[in-house]
Order: sequence, then structure tokens, then C-alpha cells
Amino acid sequence: MNAVNNWNSTQHFWLIILGFVVAFIPRFVPLMLFTKRAIPEWFNEWMKFVPVSLFTALVVKDIFIDSSSYGLVLTNYPLMIAAVIVIYIAYRTRSMAVSVVVGLAGVFLLSMFL
Amino acid sequence: MNKRRPNPKQVPDPTEPMWRSTLRVAMPLNLSYIPIGLACGILLHAAGFNTFLTGLVSLLVFSGGGQFLIATMLTINSPLLSIVLMLFFLELRYALLSSSLSPYLKGQSNRFLFIFAVSLNDENYAINYLKFATDKKWTVREALMVEHYSLLFWATSNVIGSLIGSALKIDLSVVHFALTSLFLYMIVMQLKSHLTVLICLVSAVLAAFFMIITKSTLGLVIATIVSSLIGFGLEELLQKKMPDSHWLRRLHSPGSKKSVVEHSDAN
Repeated sequence: MNAVNNWNSTQHFWLIILGFVVAFIPRFVPLMLFTKRAIPEWFNEWMKFVPVSLFTALVVKDIFIDSSSYGLVLTNYPLMIAAVIVIYIAYRTRSMAVSVVVGLAGVFLLSMFL
Repeated sequence: MNKRRPNPKQVPDPTEPMWRSTLRVAMPLNLSYIPIGLACGILLHAAGFNTFLTGLVSLLVFSGGGQFLIATMLTINSPLLSIVLMLFFLELRYALLSSSLSPYLKGQSNRFLFIFAVSLNDENYAINYLKFATDKKWTVREALMVEHYSLLFWATSNVIGSLIGSALKIDLSVVHFALTSLFLYMIVMQLKSHLTVLICLVSAVLAAFFMIITKSTLGLVIATIVSSLIGFGLEELLQKKMPDSHWLRRLHSPGSKKSVVEHSDAN
């Protein structure tokens, strides 16, 4: 992964402002609405499948999809093995920090030896 | 000596100032933000963000996933609209978090809700939800304080990461795996029934399929919408037709203390 971005700071600034808006709306609107009236059941039932679907899709992108050609890559063995390790560690410890640190160490060591 | 020694963990000292008692609650989270924040700062620096902007984005967006996403998409030269759209879908999950916290924030002013929403995040949500659900004395002010502590640690680690990134040469593909690990962790924490495991697999296949077809990260958005709707539809169907189906059965999870948080979206 090389840093090839050529945006200037003003563009970055506007990205942050827009990022703030899209990050803020989903946090604020439900809070404002549902502290005053009841939550529709279907909305909750649907929304509870959103995080798991999205995170899985993002993991698949990181491990199996080439970031420039969008082709399928099935040979990223260090990442694949490290991912299995992280899943196990996350399941056992339920600790975010331990999972991330083990994941980083795992991928670092595995990519040296594989 | 017949003086009774209170267990410091069980009996909180009533004279302890609020900033210290909330800091104690927030500390495990604060510490776990350090490695992720450092990694995120390094990546943002590599994506061209200067240190000031790295601090600003940490304060305003305050989302590990969101900031990693910005960094990654900038390095592959995605257009602004595409980044913002992807970010929107990534942050949409907060709608779920904030709606499940809303019963505890009834009667607060819109101004308070605004401040509370700005610094809401997956992890401080988990702490506050657990506290609200188990501790009757937990107040909204304490909850906000926990949010602010985590925000402070997050932004500081990001800024330090940005400075490290400018001083050292670092293998970014390794650092980027911090995000993948974070997502894997969050998936594991979300796996509550056999159905969610199935939806995981569905989403994985659909994500690969749609990304290859669309040749862009738009495939992620499509896969997320389609598989969450499949999960929603399947669950409705199963609950109506076969309520004892093993697909709806809860998964065993170690660390039962957290189970209160996992029930969060059942309300």
C-alpha cells in the first residue's frame, strides 16, 4: 500500500466536515426521535443485522479483494491465518485491545515466514 | 481487630469524586484505544493528513472504522462522494446503538442529546449500556464523562500515531490489519445466534460477488443492505413458522458479564 494521494489540506478539511455530518446523523436522529416516542419494532429488527453484515463485507474486502483491480485474491495466507487467530482470540478473551495487538503481531510474523 | 475491611471492588467509595469513579470505569477502554489509535494515526499520516487534521478527524468523526476507511480510501484515490457514502453506511450502525440507549436518555434536552451523540462510539456505548442496564445509580452525566474520556484517549493516540508516522518508516499493510482485526473482533461480539453466523457467510459471499461485479466499494454497500434484509426476513419467517428452530438459538459466549450488552438490540 503506497501513499499516492495528492489531495491538499483544504480538501481533507471538507472531507472531515462531510464525514462529521454522516457520522453524526445516525447517532443523533434516533436519539432525538426515540427519547420522545417508541422505536418501531421492524427498524430495530432490521438494524441488528447491519453491523455484522457490514463488518463481514469489510473483512472480505481486506483479505480477499485486491484494492486496485477488485479481483478475487485467494492467496493472502498470512492475512487468512491471522484472521482465524484473531477470531479465536476475540471469542476467548472478548477484549478489543488483545485481539488487535495479537492480530498485528500475527500478521507481522506470518508475513515474514510465509 | 474487628474492623471490617470493605472490598474495594464491590463497594464504591461514596466520597470518591465523579471524575475518578468514571475514569475507573472508562480505563480498560481507554487503554485499548491506544494501539488502535496509534495505528490509525500512522495510516492517516500516510494518507496525507497532517497532524492537526488527524486530531480534528478524531474529534469530529470519532470512529475507528470510519477513520481507517478514510485513510484506506484516500490511498487508493477514491472520489470524495464515494468516501462519504461508504462512511455513511459504515456509521449507520450507530442508529442502532443510539436507539437502544434512548430509553435511558428520556427527558434530556436536545442540547444534551447533541453533545451525547457527538461522542457516542461502539465501545463507550457498550460500557454505558452495561452500566445503565445494571447500575440504577448510573447517571447520564457519568455516561457522558465516560464518552469524553474515551474521546480524549482516542484523539491523543491518533495525534501521537500521526507524529510517529512522520518520524518512522512503517510497513502499512501490517498496520492496516489493525482495522481488519478490529472488525473481526466486532463480528465475533455480534454473533448471537446461528442465524447471525449464517448471515455472516451470506454477507461474505455477496460482498466478494458485488465488489467484483461493480469493481468498486459500492459492492460493500449493496452486500450490506441485501444481507441485512435477508437476515431480517429470515428471522421474521423463522419466528413465525418454527419458533424452536436451532437457527434462533443463542450461541454460548465466554465472558458472560458482557451478555447484558449483547442483549441490547432486543428491546
